[in-house]
Amino acid sequence: MFRLLLQELRSRRNAIIGWAIGLTLLPAIYVGIYPQFAEDLAGMGAILEMDIYKAMGMSFGTFEDWLASTVINIVPILVAIYAVLDGTGTLAGEEDSGKLELVVALPIPRWQIVTVKAIALNIALFLILLLVAISTTIVFIAIESDVETTLVATDVLWGLLYTWPIAMAFGMVSLFLGTFAPSRRNAALIATVVVVVSYFGTNLASQVSALESIKPLFLFNYLDATASLWVDGPQTSDVLILLGLSLVAFLLALVFFQRRDITVGAWPWQRGRIPADAGKTA
Amino acid sequence: MTDYMIETKGLSVYYGRHRGILDVDLRVEKGEVFGFLGPNGSGKTTTQRVLMDIIRPTAGEAMMLGKDCQKEGVAARDRVGYLPGELSLYNDMRASQFFTMYHSLQRNNNDPKYWQTLADRLDLDTRRRIREYSRGNKQKVGVVMAFMNKPELLILDEPTTGLDPLVQQTVMELVREANQVGATVFFSSHILSEVQAVCDRVGIIREGQMVATERVEDMTRQHFKRVRFNFATTPPDEAFTLDGVTVLARDDSGITLEIRENLGVVMEMAVSYGINDIETIPVTLEEIFLAYYGKGNGGGNV
Repeated sequence: MFRLLLQELRSRRNAIIGWAIGLTLLPAIYVGIYPQFAEDLAGMGAILEMDIYKAMGMSFGTFEDWLASTVINIVPILVAIYAVLDGTGTLAGEEDSGKLELVVALPIPRWQIVTVKAIALNIALFLILLLVAISTTIVFIAIESDVETTLVATDVLWGLLYTWPIAMAFGMVSLFLGTFAPSRRNAALIATVVVVVSYFGTNLASQVSALESIKPLFLFNYLDATASLWVDGPQTSDVLILLGLSLVAFLLALVFFQRRDITVGAWPWQRGRIPADAGKTA
Repeated sequence: MTDYMIETKGLSVYYGRHRGILDVDLRVEKGEVFGFLGPNGSGKTTTQRVLMDIIRPTAGEAMMLGKDCQKEGVAARDRVGYLPGELSLYNDMRASQFFTMYHSLQRNNNDPKYWQTLADRLDLDTRRRIREYSRGNKQKVGVVMAFMNKPELLILDEPTTGLDPLVQQTVMELVREANQVGATVFFSSHILSEVQAVCDRVGIIREGQMVATERVEDMTRQHFKRVRFNFATTPPDEAFTLDGVTVLARDDSGITLEIRENLGVVMEMAVSYGINDIETIPVTLEEIFLAYYGKGNGGGNV
């Protein structure tokens, strides 16, 4: 099992480095430009309080607001894209390409294959976030003296790492969908809809009182992308809900992969049945 | 169900309402080379995938090495080498990396460098990335993968596909050598001459159902015979017009017959014309196979 995990991590090495470098640019730019932005902030109050920003859960009054509204708000969306790609790719994608047949033919129980892939996916998500968090923290240290803030470097580091649970949740949902849907394309489509609806649903529900009751259905509801994150840290209940959802999705992935006919590409309800007239024409 | 390396009983697989295989009963004995024949879509790959627990049967049982392919599949696959028919490899890896990785993921791995020996025999440069390989070289990777663990049972789905004739010969040598040291081999192929050359028994599957399982020599001997008679007296044109007898060729000196039934009557008639010489012409497995499938016209009886 450990060897398979090493192989899974090795296969993700380039993706982890590539995504980390790519994602680093965004928070580095947002944090790096803040001193200049802060100077211009005074004259932009009306613009920054526009509904469009509120709908996206953004506020720019202080550096803490700025950091939460940009980096903490956007990085999880981008990491969720990786989670969808990897989560649907690692089982469904390999099944589509035919490589999974080689793995399943090995003397390895299916539950171990799913477990190893889930662990590798979550480690990959953590490493990407860690590298992004480290680079963002370095940029913060560089501009810290120019910024009026109570935050310290470790706050920035932890703030980004707090987004790991939601990334895990998207990853595990994607993994499950890969074991459930007939192909990676179907799984990725559904997973992408989950991410997009979660993001805009959360922000919209915050603005529209009629939607308040369904807000708990959206995963981004459990990500605190406001300045309160720096004061209170993430809500324990939010983290537990995301971890619980991840666990449920993982368990469902185990169940459905255990029953799956690899290489067939069918929904679970399309499993074969022997027709009454079987053999009469054969 | 413990005396056979492979045993299936009433094995059926349906994809939705589409038939994969139906009521397949199969027994492969320890130490034999078993050829699994059938045209495209007949169910060969489906059967092999069920054995490897890649897909689950709709009904019936499948056992390998005395173990249930589903419930004890891990223990069974530990002693099996498998070459899938639709081979898809890790294109970003070098072949040597792939073999090292694949070897490390197996438990019964007592000869970590045997893959190198196999690769050398197949003239495969393992330093190159798999994506750079031709189709034939990728197939060589698959062959090495199947044999590298010195398994007790080899399940090979068309192992010589895409290989040039020389390499095909080498693969057949590997099959023979593995068999000589005790391995059982279950393989499907479209190249019937190689099946005839290496197999002890063959099973023929048609439209998902087994239609014959016999020793190769019995199959080629029993199903029909092709005989050339040279006569002292030329028989009339209507001679040998019997059920199950086909005149394949006729000339001044004799006649060539394909005999499916009425052999005794044919011999009596031949004697009446004075036999100068008689020659039995070997029937190939390919001809038997085509007879089973009616040369593509929906099948026929032999």
